[in-house]
Amino acid sequence: MPTKKYMIMGTALLATAALAAPAAADRILRIDEVAVGEIDPAKATDYADTILAINLYDTLVYPNQGGSGVQPHLATEWAIDGSAYIFTLRDDVTFNSGNPLTAADVVYSFERMMALGQGNSSLFDGVVDSVEATGDNTVVFNLSSPFAPFLATLVRMPIVDMATVQANEVDGDWASSWMSQNSAGSGPYVIVSHDPQTETVLAYEPDYFLEPVDGYPETVRMSYGLEPATVRALMGRGEHDISSQWMPPEVYAGLAEDGATLVTEAGLTGEYFKLNTQRPPLDDVHCRRALAYAFDYATMAQLTQINDDTSTGVPMSGAIPMGMVGFDPDLPVFAQDMALAQAELEQCAYDPAENPLDVVFIAETPARERGALMMQAIYSQLGFDVEITRTPWALLTEQVTAPPTAPHVVEIAIGAASPDTDSLLYAMYHSSQPPTWISSSYYANPELDALLDQGRVETDPSARQEIYAKANAILAEAVPDIFAYELQSPFAVREGVTYHNLADPSRTYPTAGFNMRFADVSVPESE
Amino acid sequence: MTILRRLLWRLGASLIVLAGVSMLIFLIARIIPGDPARIALGPRATEDQVAQMREALNLDEPIVVQYALFMGDLVRGDLGISLYSNRPVMTDLAEYLPASLELVLLSGLMMVALGLPLGAISARYRGRWPDNLLRVITLLAVSAPAFVWAIGLVLVFAYILPLFPITGRLSDTMEIPRLTGFLLVDTLAAGRLDAFASALHHLILPAFALALSGIGQAARLTRSNMIATYDTPAVEMAQAYGFPEGRVARRYAFKPSLIPSLTIIGLDFAALLGNAFLVELIFAWPGLSRYGVGVILQKDLNAIVGTVLIISATFLIANIIVDILVSVLNPRIRLSEDGL
Repeated sequence: MPTKKYMIMGTALLATAALAAPAAADRILRIDEVAVGEIDPAKATDYADTILAINLYDTLVYPNQGGSGVQPHLATEWAIDGSAYIFTLRDDVTFNSGNPLTAADVVYSFERMMALGQGNSSLFDGVVDSVEATGDNTVVFNLSSPFAPFLATLVRMPIVDMATVQANEVDGDWASSWMSQNSAGSGPYVIVSHDPQTETVLAYEPDYFLEPVDGYPETVRMSYGLEPATVRALMGRGEHDISSQWMPPEVYAGLAEDGATLVTEAGLTGEYFKLNTQRPPLDDVHCRRALAYAFDYATMAQLTQINDDTSTGVPMSGAIPMGMVGFDPDLPVFAQDMALAQAELEQCAYDPAENPLDVVFIAETPARERGALMMQAIYSQLGFDVEITRTPWALLTEQVTAPPTAPHVVEIAIGAASPDTDSLLYAMYHSSQPPTWISSSYYANPELDALLDQGRVETDPSARQEIYAKANAILAEAVPDIFAYELQSPFAVREGVTYHNLADPSRTYPTAGFNMRFADVSVPESE
Repeated sequence: MTILRRLLWRLGASLIVLAGVSMLIFLIARIIPGDPARIALGPRATEDQVAQMREALNLDEPIVVQYALFMGDLVRGDLGISLYSNRPVMTDLAEYLPASLELVLLSGLMMVALGLPLGAISARYRGRWPDNLLRVITLLAVSAPAFVWAIGLVLVFAYILPLFPITGRLSDTMEIPRLTGFLLVDTLAAGRLDAFASALHHLILPAFALALSGIGQAARLTRSNMIATYDTPAVEMAQAYGFPEGRVARRYAFKPSLIPSLTIIGLDFAALLGNAFLVELIFAWPGLSRYGVGVILQKDLNAIVGTVLIISATFLIANIIVDILVSVLNPRIRLSEDGL
């Protein structure tokens, strides 16, 4: 009798597996990102949101492929007349709804973003005085004052279909609820389903105005919050195509050994150890310099190494990542020099033995503990007692709002919001900025402020290069942060899948997230 | 006191407990460090934008006023918009709760269906090899946390032996109209046996990973209770009468031993809903536990309170059900509550 029972149970299990076997499907791209995914472009803030925004929506300009700055996208050309930017739009673009994309949609998109006051709207706050459509295909942005980074900032302003959005407004909410569940764009993909915590499914829009690559995915499944162990198992079964950038190095190395290709994205992002310049002993520049000279950049580089071919970091020579205005390729990268560190320490007004340092790493990124431990080991040689604290992100965001009690050192990756240097340096170092984790070195220097203000109004490229190079030199001298390395975000790509924009440097877009254009990825037919 | 009256009394008491929990969690959520508006808007948001959002969330009001406003909205079935998902909190709860409940219900079923018989077998063969083997297995089940089992099960039964799917609740190629959110129900309601099989196939590994610890605990508890019961005069008398061993085990030893086991399973079951986070994470299960952790990290105040209230309510309901079951199983408990 028991044998019969087991046979029935076994048969039922096999039948379940057989019945549950999925049918054949089309070309599917499966990727993952951290939760949550926001599909309303006016609320987009992080990497996942950027990926969704660039595939569902278009912008007037796009980061320049294979270079720096921006290139035409929806706008074919533009002219600058004082503080007015006049854009001519393509006349062959329609929204996924079939409505033509016109200047009125651009005006509405801007007004909607500013009215909601979320996402990237702060990049335009106080910058734009008015926007007007002067023709079906001509739109004018009148700036409140000259703002050189304006063009680059426009990569963060996706254009929505005014008619569709207005049709779904409820009580003047700018269709806020509806847009968090549906798309109203002109992009190469449309939303099939969206669960912000679990998965977004997108389908290719065949009428898109740009050509996709051969083997582009017809369906994209973007999962959120997958565990590294899960990603590894899924890729091993051929059920996942491109990993996120957030896994431990060991997992990438394992996936590479299993046959995955590793690619990296230099997304204008630096890994900074923010030094609290408002709190003793780091309010003394000599103490900060001592820490910077003693920092073991070589070991840090080793820690970022995934395998012999791939690293998640390259050494920096200043605050500005490669490829941005102000970056100087001739500057030497930082290197450890204990003798110089000791010399600086002798000039510091504080006694290391009486001034312990608290170093914080973000609890949600445990790999960063290695950097904190390395600091503890090195700075103890200088006489500092280093206490390491593992702090949850929510608590850290609170701590950094109070400079006198904020941690001495916090390791954080900070990326540029747009391809312009201003979007990085101004938020980090201009003294007018509110105390947040981006500005958590609280550095205040009138000379630097003046340069950063000047960079905002100067439109001549060579003059801007000079301005930001000067700013970079001031920062290297004043050491508000330790510029540990420039982040090279790693992605594991399954065998048979090609992530063209990162596989070929001439196709790479310089801003983080803008490379994951699904129509630029080749995937094999699903089995 | 009839079962109905007892049920009504317990429900009333539960409502008072829930009101207390709502107050407590409302206060605790606000004590967690971090400005929800700043976290939601990001570091580049201007001070004005942060101030506007704080005003929209009533965060500048005294906490008593905030609580009154919150309760007013709650009574109308409105928990506001989640800062985590940008959707109404009620929508999130309605979407994620059925997924977690389905997982937890199957886990609970496994705990009962496997834990109790294993404990009974172990007790019946006390000191012999089946008992020794089961004790080792159940000790392992209890001692390793659910996420370790989850990773191990994925490795063995989904990666090395690709018998089960790793993530999700249903095959990607299937779509089922949402009726209750419980896929096992919705697939049957849609008359889709293939989808039902797929949903069940997706459920088995995560439910088993979540249940393993409870199975071990139930088995060990049942074993020790049954062994104690075997030494009672009632069982000795049944054995003296020459009743078959199986009948003695089932009727005279197993049934009285069920009460403590059921009580513990009931508590375990309710706790599963809150503890399923890592299992949900590993299997990419779109459940309430993942949501709960996400909203806490984001300091999404209304969603935190909503999630905790749901988990508390489940805990209370599970307790009520267990109490009723226990009183049905043991008339002495029922009679003592009636004051007889």
